[in-house]
Amino acid sequence: MRMIVGICLVLLLTFPVQADQTLVMARSSAKAAHVMDVLRETIPEYGYSVAHVQRCDGGMAEFDYKTDFYRVVFFGRVEEVRSILARHPEMSPYLPLKIVVIAENNETLLAAMDPRALGSMFPGDAQLQLQFSRWYNDIQSMLDEMRQLKK
Amino acid sequence: MKRHLNWLFLLLCMPLLAAPDGKELYEEKCSACHHFHGQGGIGLPLSKEILSQVSDDYIAKTIRHGRPGRIMPSFQKLSLAQVAAIVAYVRSWTGKPGPVFETIRIQGDAKKGDALYQEHCVRCHGKDGSGEGVGTGVTLSRKRSFMVMPAALNNIGFQKSASDAMIRDIILAGRKTSNMPAFRGKLSNQETAHIIAYLRILQPPAPRKGAEEWVGKPAYVMESPYDLETTVENVKQALAGANFRIFPLRYLEQGLTDEFSVNTRQVGIRFCNFKELYHLLNIDPRLGTALPCRINVLEQNGKVLVISANVAQLATLFNNQELSEVGVLMEEIILGVMEEATL
Repeated sequence: MRMIVGICLVLLLTFPVQADQTLVMARSSAKAAHVMDVLRETIPEYGYSVAHVQRCDGGMAEFDYKTDFYRVVFFGRVEEVRSILARHPEMSPYLPLKIVVIAENNETLLAAMDPRALGSMFPGDAQLQLQFSRWYNDIQSMLDEMRQLKK
Repeated sequence: MKRHLNWLFLLLCMPLLAAPDGKELYEEKCSACHHFHGQGGIGLPLSKEILSQVSDDYIAKTIRHGRPGRIMPSFQKLSLAQVAAIVAYVRSWTGKPGPVFETIRIQGDAKKGDALYQEHCVRCHGKDGSGEGVGTGVTLSRKRSFMVMPAALNNIGFQKSASDAMIRDIILAGRKTSNMPAFRGKLSNQETAHIIAYLRILQPPAPRKGAEEWVGKPAYVMESPYDLETTVENVKQALAGANFRIFPLRYLEQGLTDEFSVNTRQVGIRFCNFKELYHLLNIDPRLGTALPCRINVLEQNGKVLVISANVAQLATLFNNQELSEVGVLMEEIILGVMEEATL
């Protein structure tokens, strides 16, 4: 028994709580167009709908920005959006969720806001905190999948 | 039985107790900014030259403390073993151990150091030591005034990570990657000590903060005295008056459900000033995570609410001081638009 307690203590001290970030990011060695295609297929596998994809690269070259590929992918679950906005309309700017896909030469950067970064602004809603963690886990997993994509 | 249970428990815990994999951690936590082999991107290139000038202790402290306001986050929650594993992986690229520096403070006269700093360092590192030029590291996506931005010497993360001896060696040797000249033979040991003493009293500038009443809130929320349709038109007019281009309206649920089930009483008004947008993307390409600029108009429980993300708060998520300043400016503009629309 003492051994189990000892191990638990060691685990508590060595296993970190991973919440020291405000953005979730990943680099993929695959090209942006390919990452984009795979991401669009991956998002529904996690139970979300892709609401729309916004292009932000219309005139970037004119402003010294070298990438020609910058997309924002919006996604979510309608029942979650409804349930949360009924309680917290101030969450509306953060919904649907989004992931940014940026080309960097032949590679791709992906970034999303870590939903848990909003946690401190809703201290009284444990259910929402749980929701933030679930979203984070899904986004992190999706980005991990994109990171592991081959060229 | 109990002994068997103990062993079973220990067996189950083995993966957690195993030594962390530095490569895996690096790829997960660092590669997005520093690239797969330290080529650099949004973050500083971890070139052989740079790694040969910094100690393992400096890298570990930099991971731990980050660079507040300069994009590099602080990884406070990584365990000691995880940080050590990342450092060992990064160090493995050079094929040799890093330098080890004495930790004792080098004694110098900060006043004399000030004069020397103004003569030799201010052009690149700036008057207050913030580092001149745009942004931090090098990125492949945009033009830079330097390949590697001069270090923010006043940054609390740098101050905590760099030993005096390490700073002295870099001053004397220079750094080719960032065009920093070598001062060996140009500055005496005593003069170098004076400069280091001066660096230690540099302070980061106080960040501008958003309006007090909105601090800590996720969004700006105002109630409109008008119906939803009128409020939407008012917001559009106010945005046009503030020189924003307005995109077609979208319902918040649009695309998440079929067109007959969409709640048409929740409207998103998306807007942009392209010139500003591209300027901001140059400051930080990750800005898209907060795009597009949007003001929502929601009809709920008999009220019409006008809502925008708290952009001053949102901008702080990027740990980029320059972007945080813009967030405060944008707050004034967006609050002005919302007030005009709900007058």
